[in-house]
Amino acid sequence: MSKAAIAPAPSALGRFWYKWRFHINVLLVLIPLGFMPKYFQDVALFRGASGLGEREFGEVQVGPWSLRLAEFRNQPPQLEGPAGYMKSFNAALCQACISQVKVVYLRIGKPRSLRAAGGLFFGSPYRMGTSIPIPPRTKPDAELWITAEGWDGTVHQASIPLAEASPATLAWLKQQGDKP
Amino acid sequence: MIQSARIGLLMLCTGLSPLALAHNPICECEEHGTGEIVCTGGFSDGSGAPGVTLDVISYEEEVLVPGKLGDDSRLSFKRPDGEFYVLFDAGPGHVVEIDHTEIASQ
Repeated sequence: MSKAAIAPAPSALGRFWYKWRFHINVLLVLIPLGFMPKYFQDVALFRGASGLGEREFGEVQVGPWSLRLAEFRNQPPQLEGPAGYMKSFNAALCQACISQVKVVYLRIGKPRSLRAAGGLFFGSPYRMGTSIPIPPRTKPDAELWITAEGWDGTVHQASIPLAEASPATLAWLKQQGDKP
Repeated sequence: MIQSARIGLLMLCTGLSPLALAHNPICECEEHGTGEIVCTGGFSDGSGAPGVTLDVISYEEEVLVPGKLGDDSRLSFKRPDGEFYVLFDAGPGHVVEIDHTEIASQ
């Protein structure tokens, strides 16, 4: 009489894994491939290969200088913790004014003073970025104010309607206004 | 084992690095019953702002209360007469403005 032990029957999960393990592993390789277009799009955006930002809204004249402005992402302001809703913009100074402009600020509404001129653009003058707070109570007819200070101490300002600068932000503000 | 721990640490640091970049200034002011306004400053990464300038400025750009936040990142002052705003000034581009109309009483 044979005394060989009989192996226990594999569980249902074990059978499933044994049957489909190859296909599941192939799927794990294929799933990331689906995200590759978005990944390469983001890489191009961050490197500047796809332009100044997702939505460029034109050249703004600020005194003797001009700069191109763009929304970094064509989307409404994003909640960034306790700082509230923030929106990122990019800018590029004109070639001739790169050596003349010391600093460029951006804010919603006309600045009360140079101290309160808003978010500071940082980075290369060919592609600077800033993130500014967007209070949910901002009026839809608000303007985006650009303040530029030159190395000679002169300060120039210009404004652009928010509706033109960021339609996505305007739509978001209207939604906020509708909330009780 | 040590190699795995190093790779894990590298991935953790890489994953958390965007959080370290974001540190926007934040400031909140509220009025207590006695006409005393208390402002608290800090940064969105959770750090405090002891010693940071906080000025109370009139609409005519006259500094009414020149102040600096204490060790507890707070500053209290008596509510000035007339229209004013509070400016939390942590350096160029790192400012928060609070209009007097936005300061609610407790």
